[in-house]
Amino acid sequence: MNAFSLRAPSRRALRAWGLALAVASVILPALPLGPLFAQPPLPLAVLWAAYGWAAEDESGWRAPLALTLLGLLHDQLAGGPYGLFVLVYLSAYLIGRIAAVAMSAPNLVSLWGGFIVTALLSILIVVGVERLIVPIAVVPYAEAALITAILFPLVRPLYMTSTNSPSGGRR
Amino acid sequence: MARRRSVLRRTGGGRRIPAGVLLAIVLVIGALALIVARVGLTPGTDVAMQAGDDSAAAAGRVATGPARAGQNFFQRIGGMWNASERVQELERENRELQQWRQLAERLAERNARYEELLRMPADAFGESADIENSIAAQLVLDSGGPFTRTLVANAGADHGVRIGFIAVNENGLIGRVVSVGRRSSRVLMLDDYNSRIPVLGEASRVRAVLAGQATRPPELVTHPYQMQAPRMDFIVGAQALREGERVITSGDGGLFPRGIPVGIARRQNDGSWRVALAAAQQPIDFVRLIPFIAVPAPEADAVQGEGPPLTASSSVSSITRQTMAPPPTAPSTAPAAAAPPRPRPAQQQQQPRPQQQPAATTPPAQETPPPATPAAEPQE
Repeated sequence: MNAFSLRAPSRRALRAWGLALAVASVILPALPLGPLFAQPPLPLAVLWAAYGWAAEDESGWRAPLALTLLGLLHDQLAGGPYGLFVLVYLSAYLIGRIAAVAMSAPNLVSLWGGFIVTALLSILIVVGVERLIVPIAVVPYAEAALITAILFPLVRPLYMTSTNSPSGGRR
Repeated sequence: MARRRSVLRRTGGGRRIPAGVLLAIVLVIGALALIVARVGLTPGTDVAMQAGDDSAAAAGRVATGPARAGQNFFQRIGGMWNASERVQELERENRELQQWRQLAERLAERNARYEELLRMPADAFGESADIENSIAAQLVLDSGGPFTRTLVANAGADHGVRIGFIAVNENGLIGRVVSVGRRSSRVLMLDDYNSRIPVLGEASRVRAVLAGQATRPPELVTHPYQMQAPRMDFIVGAQALREGERVITSGDGGLFPRGIPVGIARRQNDGSWRVALAAAQQPIDFVRLIPFIAVPAPEADAVQGEGPPLTASSSVSSITRQTMAPPPTAPSTAPAAAAPPRPRPAQQQQQPRPQQQPAATTPPAQETPPPATPAAEPQE
């Protein structure tokens, strides 16, 4: 190309940055750093990770395990009950798997649409938990999920490849 | 059998579930079980949450150390630019405050005289709160999550903190300690979705319940004793509530002491009332955890010889004793029982009595005017 072109970061480096962003989105809202780092407006980056890892890592066990650990950490820092964020993140992972199977020729718009559906379904799960099991605030979660959905195209390269379909590169 | 397998393979029915998906399904079921069991919130299972809070508090203190130091440094640097202007402004404010202080002292003296004339019990900051034994702590974690609004302070059971302690800062009430670890404690903040505390308009005396909404300022539900439709617009007494009125804790329910400043009442466009929290004027950094001894119920602190408490079961016998003559065979061996009941100030009920009561504290019966229906008198 030309002299100003930068070499694209490797897939491995992007995944590492994606994991770091997901961990930061769990820890930063728990630190007393002011309203800018509260959640919302801070997005739920683990939802991006759940959706992206579901598309890329079809049969691996690392993604669900990492999501479970991040969910438990988030539950601990948020004051419980344990299992709430684990349920949200793993549900997003499973929904991402279903979307990966359903999409035959994905592009950016369809990927974005798939993530919006994932975020909306996660809100429904939270509403169900709120109605049936524990009293929790749904509206702030919905705001955070919507912010997460809006920002998805900006961070998508960290969690899934640009040309790869969410159904995985092997298919 | 082999023919059946080949048919399944051809039709895709024999497709195996990937290991990751299978693991995710199992973990989802486990997460649901954790939520249903309310692990971390119920008394038997909160040990894990408290241990986690201890570890997270230590890590949070280390993590926020550089940020705090940097923040203080930049604040000092920024404050140097306009130091002389700020000094002049502070001096002017100080002169004004001196005048206000003199006025406040005069009014407080006059108020004390009025209260003495009316025989009112003291209505001080955090009545019944053990302020002298309060514990100062630093905020190290702020959940700030989308579900709950809690914070973790770096003082726990080792420092004497117990569940139920009141958390305040220099501006007002923050919340209440709901979980205590060894070196950390978790405070449920007033704006949490699960927070409901009884409050009182300081001037209008309108009672209300402050209901947290997680993100917005807490809503003021001004009919706490109605069992049905607590969010009605037609509110008895709400007309007396004033815009900008100071809201304090009412002490109802026994979870919070009475008289702690909560915030300022603000009327919304839709007619509902919200409170601008006093504690939210500045970012919360240090908190004071105050022990609170709830005012005991009259039945729990009954005075000997004053008859049974006025309950549903005992009211008939009490009325009967007042209207009927005592049986002739019963000797009147307890003269104190015949004396009229004296109202006791609330502070006397809380504080331990001295061993030797001076004679002046027990005036003769003729000098004490009989109270006019003390049970019906409001305590405000």
